Amino acid sequence: MRVPSGVRRAFHLPVSKGQIARDLEEEVDFHVAMRAQALGRGGLTEEEAVAEARRRFGDVQDLRDYCVSLEVPHMQRAQFRERMYSVVQDLRFALRQFRRSPGFAIIAGVTLALGVGATTAIFSVVNDVVLKPLPFSRPGQLVQLWGIDANGKHLHFADPTFDHLAAENHTLSALAEYNSNDLSMSTGGTVMRVTASAVSKQFFQVLDVRPEIGRLFAPEDQQKGAPMVAVISHGLWMRLFGGSPSVIGTIVKSGPTSVTIIGVIPAGTEYPAANDAWYPREPLGENTSYTAHNWNVIGRVKDGLTPDAAARDVSMVLRRLHAAVGENTWTFDGTAIPLRDQIVGKVKVLLLLILGASGVLLLIACANVANLLIARMAVRESEIAVRVAIGAGRGRLAQQLLIETSLLAAVGCLGGVLIAAAGTRALLVLRPALIPRVGELSLDWRVLAFAIVTSAAMAVALGLFAAWRGTRGDLRAALSQSQRTQGGGGASYRVRGSLVVLQLAMTVVLLVGAGLLARSFVRLTTIDPGFRTHDMVVAATAYDDARGADYLTRRTLYYEQLAERARAIPGVTSVGISDAPPFSNGSSNGTFLVLDNASVNIVQSDLEALFKDKSRTGWATYRTASSGYFKAMGIPVIAGRVFDDNDRAGGPQAAVINAALAHKQWPNENAIGKVIEFGNIDGDLTPMTVVGVVGDTREEDLAADPQPAIYVDFDQRTGNSHDMYVIMAAAQETSAIAAARRSFTQVRSDIPMRFLTVEDIIGRSVESQRFVLLLVGVFGTVALLLATLGVYSVISYLVAQRGREISIRVALGASASEIVGLVLKQGIVLSLVGAVIGGVAALAATRLLKQLLYQVSTTDPVSFASVLVVLCGVALLASYVPARRAAAFEPMDVLRGG
Amino acid sequence: MPRDASDLLHGTLDVLILKTLSWGAMHGYAIAEWIEHRGGGELVIVDAALYKALHRLEEGGAITAEWGLSDNNRRAKYYSLTSRGRARLRTESETWKRYALAVGRIIEST
Repeated sequence: MRVPSGVRRAFHLPVSKGQIARDLEEEVDFHVAMRAQALGRGGLTEEEAVAEARRRFGDVQDLRDYCVSLEVPHMQRAQFRERMYSVVQDLRFALRQFRRSPGFAIIAGVTLALGVGATTAIFSVVNDVVLKPLPFSRPGQLVQLWGIDANGKHLHFADPTFDHLAAENHTLSALAEYNSNDLSMSTGGTVMRVTASAVSKQFFQVLDVRPEIGRLFAPEDQQKGAPMVAVISHGLWMRLFGGSPSVIGTIVKSGPTSVTIIGVIPAGTEYPAANDAWYPREPLGENTSYTAHNWNVIGRVKDGLTPDAAARDVSMVLRRLHAAVGENTWTFDGTAIPLRDQIVGKVKVLLLLILGASGVLLLIACANVANLLIARMAVRESEIAVRVAIGAGRGRLAQQLLIETSLLAAVGCLGGVLIAAAGTRALLVLRPALIPRVGELSLDWRVLAFAIVTSAAMAVALGLFAAWRGTRGDLRAALSQSQRTQGGGGASYRVRGSLVVLQLAMTVVLLVGAGLLARSFVRLTTIDPGFRTHDMVVAATAYDDARGADYLTRRTLYYEQLAERARAIPGVTSVGISDAPPFSNGSSNGTFLVLDNASVNIVQSDLEALFKDKSRTGWATYRTASSGYFKAMGIPVIAGRVFDDNDRAGGPQAAVINAALAHKQWPNENAIGKVIEFGNIDGDLTPMTVVGVVGDTREEDLAADPQPAIYVDFDQRTGNSHDMYVIMAAAQETSAIAAARRSFTQVRSDIPMRFLTVEDIIGRSVESQRFVLLLVGVFGTVALLLATLGVYSVISYLVAQRGREISIRVALGASASEIVGLVLKQGIVLSLVGAVIGGVAALAATRLLKQLLYQVSTTDPVSFASVLVVLCGVALLASYVPARRAAAFEPMDVLRGG
Repeated sequence: MPRDASDLLHGTLDVLILKTLSWGAMHGYAIAEWIEHRGGGELVIVDAALYKALHRLEEGGAITAEWGLSDNNRRAKYYSLTSRGRARLRTESETWKRYALAVGRIIEST
């Protein structure tokens, strides 16, 4: 007799070591019994016969050990083969299932893909910005150094402070000052505005950057009075010189200065980010003041030391310096922050928040699919019961369901990666500035691993869930139940209801977050900044001619010519000049002196002593403004007058202050007529008389209160920056820009210009708020859609399940509206429970948003209430459709069918 | 196929089992009886060794086993030959015959 191997596998497969031993024992017992029987026939008593049979059998223990050692590996191999075989079988079965009901497979797959896609897209940004190392060698050693003032605020470095730190520290192998600004660069007829940094000796040594071509700075370039040289970025090399190697040695003009280009550094190694050119700071000489906080400082920590050690060292050195120099320096203390934290610190919090929001969306998607799975389980209950009846164990069923969910998750993963690929591109368009290293955003192995791990976790969670739901059923009940009632009963509804409640609750969290951000955004953008924000054009220029005796006269002449041409442009109503347009971050601020009268003569060396008298000093932002500036900006004059043509270079100097300063400095006096001195910023020690008070403006940050400000006359003082902005109130912004671009270059073609609208500038200042709002809003909307689907499907299920009951009610005379009400009540209960749980969760979660909100409390009742109303409304709508269906039941159809 | 002596002794029991099973599926006790009977009582096999051989052969795929009911209605494990076992029986019988002949010749020659 031959037994096919398949049968053997099905009916006799040792499953464990114990089983092997038990089988053997039974075999031996049988043998012994047979032998004893034979011996008994020979005349032995039964006991004797058994004893003799056992003796003749031999060492059973030895046999057992032998058989176990022989069969266990065999068993394991067989089991593995069996498992793989069943996996393949189940895969085929799952595919057949999906082909049979493609609707379920597609909806579940797309839902998971949405969740995975959103999370993966955000993770790719997190990966790029937060996780990837900086593009420098041993980036963990790079630190940003800061001074700390008496109030604990970070301070930039003054030259003597930096020199002291460089000489006294024991933890840094190199450190360097740098300071960036916009300059013009012209070569062969092309003029460009570039971002350039003045850097001190060890700058490239700190970053450990090598030139792509040419060389970096040598000691002879880094001496006072040395001819100007520059290193440029790979990007600028491509843009301005087409990547030609002959760029080395090329002489370009920056204003009056000739600069020789000596090297190019590789793409991706620009620091600060998006910097175009670097030049040695040493030829310009040092500023000996301890309070000229002009420099950023980076350093590299010595091998084997940590940034923390450097922070302690810097702190100690600067505290010692303060002890030695006393009030001459405002730097009380210092610290070192890892460069990565410095660059991504704020963004990191923002991104993790968005990642959290996308994670909530993913959970909602999972809940939706879990809900769909239950519906499927109900339909498949009899199929599963049959499988159990013909001998499928729970484990085997669980495996089958796990494979089905894994297949879904695999589809979700694939779709998710595609969505993420598209999503990251969209993110780059939305907010390049949030992503410090633009263009690098890529789906690398870490992102893919993230998508795969997320999907695998989903597959396991959903599979276990389905197995729990699928294998719990009562066989007989399931087989005897008719298909129409769909089986499962109340327990199923409770689980599905709980899932929907969970979805609704998480949706509330996302929507409340989005609501708070939206209200805050509206508050922020509708705030009156104190100046006109629409129909405003700004032309950014740099007047970097050599500063000589007639610098002011020439500059005034040039800008007067520009203003004249601007006024000739149709639609332009007024024109003003300033050194800092709104949100340029270009304004300086500092300490000014209050003097007795305008005839006091002050010299630089007196300043330090005078600053010590706190009653005669004040703090303000410094701005340069022309006579037309206030009108062009729409800043109201509150008292006195603004600059006029009588305020001429060389004449008595006038100053205009804002209301915040007038209120702070002279609360009970008339500020007009006061004499001040603000040479600390621009080096011009001539006293100024306050001639007018103007309205406050929010020009640094919409969310911040207006700061005290002093406007000095553009015609009278040089200011401290080359950057000058022509501000035009113009009805048609686009055409005004086009006209200005044409006519301004006719005055001087060697001064490059950039045109902006104030609306754009303000838009950019709230970009990160808009970015977070947009993403959380999109996530919230998708969540609401999914939750609506969830409510709809669970109420539809309820209607189908209670079809008989509803029909009986209709037959007994219940009206359509009563039936609708009955069903709607269920929807209301679900949404109310979800709303309450979600509301409580949101109260806890929105605290994370605190930093991002402007004048909106994290428990803002309007946001909470409107979200709850929207949610309940949508849930009602989603239950209304199945409710109508229930009301339309033809009772006889249902009853006869049942 | 050259073999060492001990291997051949193992092989003796194996070939006896295979030969026995060529008559049909049997349980272990029946195999032992059959060999003893056909051997005219000359060959007494230690039962434990027989079962070791049975399990070894099963592992090697020469025979398969399944549980069945014996004549006296007890659960017993029945062994039967596989096609691989049949092939092995053929080659081993040949080897054994040649071996026996060779040993016989040596003993006769004195």
